[in-house]
This record gives sequence, structure tokens and C-alpha cells, in this order.
Amino acid sequence: MMKNSNPIVKVTNVHKVFDRKHHVLCGIDLEVNSGETIVILGPSGSGKSTLLRCINFLEEPTAGSIEVDGTVICAGKNSRQRDSQILDIRKKTGMCFQSFNLFPHMTVLENIIEGPVTVLKQNKNQAIPYAEELLDWVGLTEKRDEHPSRLSGGQQQRVAIARSLAMKPKIMLFDEPTSALDPELIGEVVEVMERLAKEGMTIIAVTHEMHFARDVADRVLIMEDGVWLEEGTPEQIFSHPKEQRTRQFLAHIL
Amino acid sequence: MEDKTTDQQTPMILSGIPPEALATLHGIETKKTRYKRNLIIAFAVLITFMVSTLIIIGLDFKFMVKWLPFILTGIGYTLLVSFLAISLACFLAIAGALGRLSLNPVLNSIATTYVSLIRGTPLLVQVYMWYIALPQIGKALEDLGLTGTQALFTLPAIPAGILALGVCYGAYMTETVRAGIQSIKIGQVEAAKALGMTNSQAMRRIIFPQAVRVIIPPVSNEFIAMIKDSSLVSLMGVWELSFRAIKVGRRHFQSLEMLIMAAMIYWVMCFILQLVQEKIEAHMARGDRRTS
Repeated sequence: MMKNSNPIVKVTNVHKVFDRKHHVLCGIDLEVNSGETIVILGPSGSGKSTLLRCINFLEEPTAGSIEVDGTVICAGKNSRQRDSQILDIRKKTGMCFQSFNLFPHMTVLENIIEGPVTVLKQNKNQAIPYAEELLDWVGLTEKRDEHPSRLSGGQQQRVAIARSLAMKPKIMLFDEPTSALDPELIGEVVEVMERLAKEGMTIIAVTHEMHFARDVADRVLIMEDGVWLEEGTPEQIFSHPKEQRTRQFLAHIL
Repeated sequence: MEDKTTDQQTPMILSGIPPEALATLHGIETKKTRYKRNLIIAFAVLITFMVSTLIIIGLDFKFMVKWLPFILTGIGYTLLVSFLAISLACFLAIAGALGRLSLNPVLNSIATTYVSLIRGTPLLVQVYMWYIALPQIGKALEDLGLTGTQALFTLPAIPAGILALGVCYGAYMTETVRAGIQSIKIGQVEAAKALGMTNSQAMRRIIFPQAVRVIIPPVSNEFIAMIKDSSLVSLMGVWELSFRAIKVGRRHFQSLEMLIMAAMIYWVMCFILQLVQEKIEAHMARGDRRTS
């Protein structure tokens, strides 16, 4: 097990309770080193997405603390300082959603420069060259001035990735990025994620793409009922799982 | 037929379509053109019927033409009152909607009471409130030692009318704007927040521009209703369109002519507004899959 004194993401004893009765995360710890690619697997409803959403505070943890690139935020009361720390974490953290969530009233290029222009206060002309570079990197230069509704799901997700990358994040969170896609469109999105991992991006992905988990991930973690069931290298998890439950789960999805 | 931007979208003629399929396609096409033709005929018949009715009942067209310029002069007030009241209503509607959605108890209670109170009382009563009752409040405050309030609260007819209409329509539109904002999917806010936007940035850049598209038809409805309700300022003796028509009609015992003429002028104004609405909707719908 890799233990690093200075992880870029450190989740400590995080609990999440919905409506006072659904205990979705039960004391989760997670450390991710810079440049590492982590894949989180688990049955639906096990809390994977909730954990991911807690890392950038789209979901407020009920207890515990989150540290991202040196900024530590504990669960608890809102304050002005805490709000600005959350914004700080979000600027350093890109996120891709299952349903893409591109802004439908903007063109592809406008989607990508929206973060740099509105959040980082760059002027448009400053933001456009890098946006075009990213668009080229995800292979969609010719879609620059289209509206998202004209794009296929796979293309939309690649634009969504470019939109996140425009903020120059240090960490990318992927929340089931291929689950809403037709099977033949999954490959193009996974290929972009692979290149991102190769270029040294820190990635935390919740995905059912076994090929990505097996070939790209440095570590695979399995969650069940809000606790870690097992963690290890893809080799350990897929070839020699220790837990009986892990074996059962893998048998279902493979 | 209306936009040329959807270039490559026109279906191409494919080779290898079997003749029976082509026949079906042709059948659908003729059905469509036949429907369009019949629709035009139906409209024409209806309009002919309406016009001939007016002729048969012996409408005095000369009288109408003679007074037309006088009545039309009233449009100025109608448009002035409507335009300013609409501007006020839009401002109040946005503020009201943000208040209704606010987690701040003070703002929320003010906005909720505003909507409930104004929607729950007749516009007629509200118009008189602004015009006749407000000065009484001013006097009471003056008596309590707030000098100048009586003069301030005694409004001339037109400002009173603008306030009455603007505040009233603002309340209705508050609910429209709120519903429009709430119709935007939560994923849009999450995507905006994930980029590091503050709540107000997300509202201004992501939510509101999308909500505007949703609320244009209902807001146009309000605009059209407002044009007509602007005739209520005639209650305060403003020489606007309907007031002039009624006065002239009564004096010459030819109310029918004058009322029909006033009605026609309102109809034309509302029809123009409707065309503007359609233009705006078409413009806003760019990038919307449903229109392609």
C-alpha cells in the first residue's frame, strides 16, 4: 500500500447522513497522491458518488474533514471563510458528471471559457487560445461553435472534460462519466480519460468501465454500504480478491 | 422556413428508397399542403364573416374615420403607462422571485406577502389605493410629524397608474420568474458550482439566462394583458385610448363604433407584441434541439 506523507487529497473519517436516517458514508478515509489514478467500484447505492461529491462539497459531509491541496475543511457550520475555502477547493478540482451538464445556452467554446472568464476573471481573448487547445486535445475542434444539443453524448462528455480542464485543476473527479452513454460512444470518453491519466493528472473516478479500472488505475477501491470493502492494485483486486463480497460483486459486473 | 442557420440539417434525398415509401412520403406532403390551404381558407371566411357583420349592422365608418386621429392620440399614454409599468414589473418580478427562493427569512416573508396580498386583491381596488387612499396615509404620517409625506404620497394620475399596474403585474410575474428559475435542472447549478462559481455567479451566468427562455411565453402573456389593463388609468381621468373612445361615443350616441375601434386598436397593438414574442422565442431557441 502506498502511503505518502503528503497526499493531495485526504479524506478523514467522513460521514454523510441524509434526512437523519440514511447513513450513506460511515467514516470513510481516503488518501490520494498527486498523479495517482484511483477507481472506486461498488454496488449502486453504496455511497461512491456521495463520497466523490463530498470532496468538492457539492454534498456537505455530516462529519469528518476533507483536505485538498493543503486546504483543510471540516464538516460543520458555514462561515464566510469556510465558503471561500470551498470555492478554493472547487477551483482546484474538476468534475465530470454522468449527465454531462453542459450549459445548453452556450456554444461549445463558450462552455469551455465560462470557468476561466467568470471564475478566474480572465478576459475572453486570454481564455480562448487555451480553450481551443483543449478542444483540439479532446478532438472536437470542428464543434467549436456548435451548441451542446447538436453533439452526441460522447462528444458532450469530452467537451465537459475540456470545460473542467480549462480551470487547470489539480484533481479530476469523474462521477460515472460513461454510464449515460450508448455503448459505442464509451470508448472515446475513456480514451480521453486515459490520456489525462498518462499526462499525470490526479484522477478519482467512480466508473463501471472495467477496462479503465484494470489498465489505467493505480489503485482500485471497493465500497459497500458506506465503508471500504477492499482496496489494492487492479491486479490484486481483479485477480486475487481477498473478500468474499468483492468476489461476488466482481462476478456480477464482469 | 424561418432560419437559415440550420444548413446541413435538411434531409438529403437518399437513393434506394422503395417506390411505395416514396408514395407514402408524397401522401404526407400533400396532406400537409392541403391542411395549410384549408387553414388559410378558414381564416379568410371567418374574417369576411366578421367584417360583413359589421357592415350589415350599419356601422358608421365615416364617423369612425373622422375620430380615428383623436382616439389614436391616446395611444401615447397607453404605451407610456404600459412600458413604464412593464419595466417596473420586470424589476419587481426578479427581486420578488429571488426573495421567494431566498433562505433569508426577512426577504422571503416580504416577497411571499407581496405576492399573496397583491394577487389576492382586485387591480381596480389597487388603482384607487394608489390614487385616492395613499394621500390619506401621507396626511396621517404628516400629522405624526413626518413633514413632506403628504405631498410625496399625493400622486398624479399617471404615476399612480404606473405604480398600480407595475406592482400588480410584478406580483404575478414573480411567480412566473420563480417557476422559470426552478425549472432549470439541478445539474446545471452543480456544474456551475463545480467550476468554482459563487451562487450569484451561477444565477447570473447559468440559471437566469436559461430561465428567461422558459418564461418568455408566460411573460408575453402578462405584457399583452398589461396593455389592455392600462385602460384602467382612465378611471383617474387620463385621456388615454379607451377613455377617449368612451367619451366620444357617449357624446355622439355612437358608442358601438367607438368601442369597436378602440378594441381594434388594442388588438393591433397586442398582435404586434405577439409577433415580437415569436421573434424573441425563435432567437432564444438557437441551440435548442426541439426546434431543429
